[in-house]
Amino acid sequence: MGKKLSMKGWLFISPALILLAVFLVYPIIYSFYLSFTSTKGIISSFVGFKNYIRLTKDPMFLLALKNTGIILVIQVPIMLISALILANILNDRKLAGRGIFRTAIFLPSVTSLIAYTILFKMLFSFDGIINRLLLSTGIVDHPLEWLTTPKLAVFVLILAMLWRWTGYNTVFYLSAMQNISYEIYEAAEIDGASKTQTFLRITLPLLKPMILFTTIMSTIGTLQLFDEPMNLSQGGVTAATMGPGNCFLTLSVYIYNLCFKYVPNFGYAATVSYVIVFIIAALTVLQFWVGQSNEEKDAKKRLEKEGKA
Amino acid sequence: MKKTFVCLLVIALFATIFGAVSAENSDGKITVWAWDPSFNIAIMKEAAARYEAINPDVKIDIVEMAKADVEQKLNTILAAKTTEGLPEIVLIEDYNAQKYLQYYPGSFADLTTKFNYDDFAAYKVGVMTLDGKVYGVPFDSGVVGFFYRSDILAEAGFKAEDLKNITWDRFIEIGKTVKEKTGKYMLGFQHTDGGIMRIMMQSAGKWYFDEEGKPALIGNQALVEAFELYKKIVDSGIAKPTNNWNEWVGTINTGESASVTSGVWIVGSIKAAKDQSGLWDVAPVPRLSTVDSKNASNLGGSSWYILDKSADKDAAIDFMQKIYAGDKDFYQTILINNGAVGTYLPAATGEAYSTPDEFFGGRAIYEDLSAWMKEIPPVDYGIYTYEADAAIMAQMEAVCAGTMTIDDAIKAAEAQLENQIQ
Repeated sequence: MGKKLSMKGWLFISPALILLAVFLVYPIIYSFYLSFTSTKGIISSFVGFKNYIRLTKDPMFLLALKNTGIILVIQVPIMLISALILANILNDRKLAGRGIFRTAIFLPSVTSLIAYTILFKMLFSFDGIINRLLLSTGIVDHPLEWLTTPKLAVFVLILAMLWRWTGYNTVFYLSAMQNISYEIYEAAEIDGASKTQTFLRITLPLLKPMILFTTIMSTIGTLQLFDEPMNLSQGGVTAATMGPGNCFLTLSVYIYNLCFKYVPNFGYAATVSYVIVFIIAALTVLQFWVGQSNEEKDAKKRLEKEGKA
Repeated sequence: MKKTFVCLLVIALFATIFGAVSAENSDGKITVWAWDPSFNIAIMKEAAARYEAINPDVKIDIVEMAKADVEQKLNTILAAKTTEGLPEIVLIEDYNAQKYLQYYPGSFADLTTKFNYDDFAAYKVGVMTLDGKVYGVPFDSGVVGFFYRSDILAEAGFKAEDLKNITWDRFIEIGKTVKEKTGKYMLGFQHTDGGIMRIMMQSAGKWYFDEEGKPALIGNQALVEAFELYKKIVDSGIAKPTNNWNEWVGTINTGESASVTSGVWIVGSIKAAKDQSGLWDVAPVPRLSTVDSKNASNLGGSSWYILDKSADKDAAIDFMQKIYAGDKDFYQTILINNGAVGTYLPAATGEAYSTPDEFFGGRAIYEDLSAWMKEIPPVDYGIYTYEADAAIMAQMEAVCAGTMTIDDAIKAAEAQLENQIQ
């Protein structure tokens, strides 16, 4: 009877399994094979590790890697720290109108990636509202070329991403904070702990798993960044450079260009995407390691203390 | 009973998953992919209406997509080696044609014997020829004109004669005077668009590559001058920076910029501002001064291609023969309605060409433009135009900021291009 039941079980999940195999497992394996070939349209040849060697000498790839790295290093920490601070404020039970603020902060996450990017592009265009505001208040005396100067353009991109994603992460922190028993805070208050102390000593350590999770998710998201730079850049796919001085050329955008803008080289594009996979894997392992080793340290300390006591 | 039910359920699930895939058969419908609703889409609609009048059995389905989407879909389907979902006819930009022909062999119908290619402009046929076989139906010309607002330039003290057959250096001087006297920009400018570089180079009969298709950036004097001019245009402040195509066209339609130098296909967009009727005029494109260069060039232009494996290929060929290589009146209509300068020579003369255009102050602009079209120095675009464009424009920022010399920029661009095209 048990065997029969498990057979039926397999039968029922087989459609999903087959779909997964066809649309997930097979592409993963096939694209790994592709990364060892060089293709020009449908003319393909096996080249071994040549693609991976070519990457190290490809100025466009290195630039894309650098651009993605810069965005990652600047944007993710700012976003996560502001999300933490916001979540902490919103978690305050005495705050009036919490619901409204929470909704307002989460609202950007509901907008479509394309829509908000286009909106930022309009805000920061040469005669957009930002330039007009700055001019009318006398902060600048001539309109800034926001999207045509490399540094300013990256600033706009990061600002846009902060607007879109901070609220999203805030909600994660908020839900984790609500799982922390209020009694702990009460006890801390009675013991005379200041707000900063409670945040640093209670909230932060208890949020560690969530911080680790959001860091990994944001890292992955940034390494795959595509919609925002593609839409912020002038002329998008048809332009000769992705943003001024190619400052919007991220790894994913480069993959797109290799497939659809230049002579289609799906093999080389697969190589670049596997490099993203390797980087994500390495960074995730690193983040887990940093997170865990701290915990282990804490555990050791605690044990030592208990031993002394 | 239960067992049967379970089995049936599973079978039903499988059927829904795999049953959706069924072979596409001839349905008497010609599907066409193109991208510009006010230009090639509108023209194809006109052609379809004419053909449906001759042959009412055939239905022509014109699908509008962004140009990048057309390329993305075409690349994906062809690379997957499937014939599902392909149209009968697709519009491909001339710069990209060889790339598709060479790297998707057997995908496009060989039309060598189906059309008399002597009837089409030679430079267009060259773009679609591979190993002696011709694969496309030439469509529009990208002959470049220096379109300008005669009222603004008159205000700055320039007459039509002053703007004829000038050099780009003179163009910049004029632009500075215009900016000074009228406060208007001379042109709208997209920083990441290499179009103006290509206009300049082709006027000297040069391109990014030599005869064998190898990169030829270093030692290309036309490219050096184009670089210098690009920097001068940016530095002189005569160009209004814009972020995208719409903003760029906006500078023309709002009267912010006094001129636009572009392919003839821009006429449709110029005429969109009806209140500016009579205020425009056109002169030949400026030329380079340090190399042998003509006051004639080309930008863009595209052609129709028929997919070899498509279900209604023969109907599509018949359609193209009857309209695009037979209907002279059709070419007159699209010229008047859409400003499309066709490359079908038997239709290149006629009333529509010599009719004065009120929008352009009564000048018969198409007569002028088709005369310039014959002067365009032919160049072989090769297959890597966009790679070269990207390599050049990647250095432009540093050159304009003054942190890199033009010589170094060209060397860096060539190195990048070499890596890109291996």
